[in-house]
Amino acid sequence: MKKQLVHIKGTKEGLVLRLDDCCAYADLIEELENKVSEGGIDNKVDVQLDLGYRFLTKEQKNDLVQVVEQSGKMHVSNVYSEVISVDESNELLLASKRDTYIGIIRSGQIVKASGDIVIVGDVNPNGRVEAGGNIYVLGKLKGQVHAGFKGNSDAIIVASHFEPTHVYIADKIDVMSNEKPFVSQHADQIVAFIDQNGVITYERLQEARNLRPSLNTV
Amino acid sequence: MGEAIVITSGKGGVGKTTTTANLGTALALQGKKVCLVDTDIGLRNLDVVLGLENRIIYDLVDVIEGRCKAHQAIVRDKRVDEKLFLLPAAQTTDKNAVNPEQMKSLIDELKREFDYVLIDCPAGIEQGYRNAVAGADRAIVVTTPEISAVRDADRIIGLLEQEDIEPPRLIINRIRKKLMNNGDTLDINDITTHLSIDLLGIIIESDEVISSSNKGEPIVMDPNNKASLGYRNIARRILGESVPLMSIDEDQKGVFAKIKSLFSR
Repeated sequence: MKKQLVHIKGTKEGLVLRLDDCCAYADLIEELENKVSEGGIDNKVDVQLDLGYRFLTKEQKNDLVQVVEQSGKMHVSNVYSEVISVDESNELLLASKRDTYIGIIRSGQIVKASGDIVIVGDVNPNGRVEAGGNIYVLGKLKGQVHAGFKGNSDAIIVASHFEPTHVYIADKIDVMSNEKPFVSQHADQIVAFIDQNGVITYERLQEARNLRPSLNTV
Repeated sequence: MGEAIVITSGKGGVGKTTTTANLGTALALQGKKVCLVDTDIGLRNLDVVLGLENRIIYDLVDVIEGRCKAHQAIVRDKRVDEKLFLLPAAQTTDKNAVNPEQMKSLIDELKREFDYVLIDCPAGIEQGYRNAVAGADRAIVVTTPEISAVRDADRIIGLLEQEDIEPPRLIINRIRKKLMNNGDTLDINDITTHLSIDLLGIIIESDEVISSSNKGEPIVMDPNNKASLGYRNIARRILGESVPLMSIDEDQKGVFAKIKSLFSR
């Protein structure tokens, strides 16, 4: 008998379609089409696709999802693969990098980082820091900061003296000219973050651990 | 081999030209051979402040374009004999008549002959600024105790830090004692911590600075003026002496005022 290319497995999270990662892509598509049209399922179910060690482009992944969903009985909730491309891997590496800038960021200067950044010095008015991750300022923050500029809304901004003109996190903006009694009263040691309501909010630095426990790496 | 110092500020009207004229004169009075270079092509003022306007024959652009030699364009100030010279800017063209490489070779040429070459930088951060900074070994940033001037100083310091020169030093100009002591302007400490560069000196505002500039006579020539003392102290610091910062307390009161203030306490 021919080797089965598509295995269907039931797990807690729903059905998993495990796809063979050694056969030809065309054969796989064909068998998948047959499998999903076999029927036997009454209600619409969530399924996950497990590609194993097969690398597929975004378009190919979309094709697979379409094939599975054309039966009308399955919805693909996740496509899982053991491999990623070098580019993707590099991007992930960059995003998890932590940079350090020593010096003052003066008016008109922009410092950018792909991941987190630690500034040892001040950020002066009209100076700007942009980071894909979190921003930590060990000095006076008096300029503009943009944390999570690629869309990471979990990013936070921490400064030992917090007096910026503009605070950006992901796609949210907060202009500090508005009255902010909390910030002006606790200008020393503040953490800025996006709360559950999607609003930029400020807390004492000591609250950071409760707000973003996942930042703890020790 | 001399040293070239550019005097810059970013913002206009804070006293770059006055500072250049007075520091140059003070250094010359200390026995150094000084050449002042006006790089504000098209809007030259340094010659007027020094009272040398009607002695200009050739200018900086003539030298750079090879119409004359540098020594032909340089004007000598007779008041400080054989020590103070001026290379005036051209008035009929603009900043784009010169490029940074040409400026650098001109300043290098002047450095061979003079102890100090002081370069008066135009306001702004465009071509004129780049020309002025090109040949400099050191930079002095002039600011006043106003937020707008300090912001621009911050910007210019950032740009200077990218150049291949020593860290810039700061002069705080036009300090008004009363306003500063009342806390109505930024104080010296605020400014130096914000900009975090070395303070070279402070100049106290004085009406005589304006009136003497209008007469074409640098205030440094008057030994009794507070602003003049400030410039002389800065010149001594440039020469490597350590001179304490002058106080910005109100002037000494007369005997009667002292007694009066005793009773009013």
